[in-house]
Amino acid sequence: MNFGTDMTKAGSCQPPSGGKALAPVFFRSFLLQAAWNYERFQNLGFVFSMLPALRRAHAPGAPLNSAVLRHLAQFNTQPYMAGFVMGNIIRMEESVSGLPVDEAMEKKMLSVKTALASGFAAIGDRLFWGRLKPLMTQLCVLVWACGGFYGWLFRPEPGTAQAPSMSLLFGGPLAGMAVYASFSVYLRWTGLKRGYACGGSSSCGLDALDWSRLIRRLSAAGFALAAAAALSAFAFLLFSSWSGAPDPGFARKVAPVLAALAIQRAARKSGRSIFFATGMVIAVSLALVALFGPEGWAWNRNL
Amino acid sequence: MLSALWTSFCAALLELDNVQAGQFLLARPAFVGTLLGWMNGCPVEGARIGLLTELVFLDFMSVGGVVPPNGLVSAAVSVLAFSWGGLPESAAFFSGMLAGLIYCGVEYRLRAFRSSWTAAVEAEVRAGIIRPGRRLAAALLAEGAVSWAFIFLFSGWLASAAALSARLNMGPLFGALDLAYSLMPWLGLSGLYFRFRGQIHKNKAGA
Repeated sequence: MNFGTDMTKAGSCQPPSGGKALAPVFFRSFLLQAAWNYERFQNLGFVFSMLPALRRAHAPGAPLNSAVLRHLAQFNTQPYMAGFVMGNIIRMEESVSGLPVDEAMEKKMLSVKTALASGFAAIGDRLFWGRLKPLMTQLCVLVWACGGFYGWLFRPEPGTAQAPSMSLLFGGPLAGMAVYASFSVYLRWTGLKRGYACGGSSSCGLDALDWSRLIRRLSAAGFALAAAAALSAFAFLLFSSWSGAPDPGFARKVAPVLAALAIQRAARKSGRSIFFATGMVIAVSLALVALFGPEGWAWNRNL
Repeated sequence: MLSALWTSFCAALLELDNVQAGQFLLARPAFVGTLLGWMNGCPVEGARIGLLTELVFLDFMSVGGVVPPNGLVSAAVSVLAFSWGGLPESAAFFSGMLAGLIYCGVEYRLRAFRSSWTAAVEAEVRAGIIRPGRRLAAALLAEGAVSWAFIFLFSGWLASAAALSARLNMGPLFGALDLAYSLMPWLGLSGLYFRFRGQIHKNKAGA
């Protein structure tokens, strides 16, 4: 049985069912992780998502039952990239429709599934969790900054600053959500179609985009934005704290920030999480307040 | 109390988007903080808490089987501790961080509990019953109910602690937390910087 060689090139043969099962699988795939567990990870969500396609490919009874059991095996990938694997497996299941599935065929199907899941997990984790998610936080900061809301960075005295509008407050996070959700939904659907078109290949869809270039560019954009945000915030702090002549108040405003940055750097270098840095900042703050009293440290109230 | 229950319920609904359903980023702390803050009459504080929580919790990635500290629970508890519990914003923020950290243990147990379900589903399929959707619905309901209870009870506990400690001189502690809180944006921004800088270095090394 061969479901590989003649289907690896996208569009080289007509899909057996015309991909009619793709839409329900697509909608169900949003629940891929609903029953995530430590024994077999996303297996229950995978079977739930694939069920419309499996019902279409196999007759009720033993053939369908064995197909479902086959896909209750361990499965774990990045949820937005799962479409590539699902489309591929749908095509493979359809190619064995009505045929007795022997052990070798089943093994081949599972090996393709595992190979694709691992490959797309690595890409998806780097792309979504490592780049896009932090970039969406930066987009929120950018929208708020463009709208003149710096309340997350500097807290003015109550009553001294104009309250930001609700549309600006919600616009920050919603802008990122719109970009992120659109791209992830697009990739889910494209992945499903692409996987279905070239079903049977264990490298199917890995060339759908130039992933490495995309990831590199997102890293560069994230770095540029992060550096710009940190530097402009620090410059803003310096200019707003400087009264034109050296005074102890200036040091009290700037020194804690420099200390926090140094703590963060040290924590990063020693491989500790941000919770460690936060704990250190709290400890230093407690020590400063215990030594010099609570007054005068709330530098941000002056801005 | 009713408002806190309603707020926790909304947070629990959004929590489902975090891992289990959709993952459209509805559960991002910046949005949750702003929304819950708006519901409780403190949108600016909610937005600030939300963004700072997001900056801190970005440090953790949900790769593989790792359960990261929960940013949504953290933001929700912080907003409730501030608006319902009457804690200063800084104390509410750090209490929320603690809640988010503790909740990852709860989430781990929920995931571990579901590990036994595969065997049960397999037995059902062998018997000709194919209904994995019921398990998914149960998982969603359980996660929603547990996160709802956790957010409400943790916030309630913080509100009680704040009320009980009202007679104590908490000024120095809150003063220190205020200072630490004012430094959190810098930790967050520098965290982002170091994160992307590390990626650039890795890309260069890879090339």
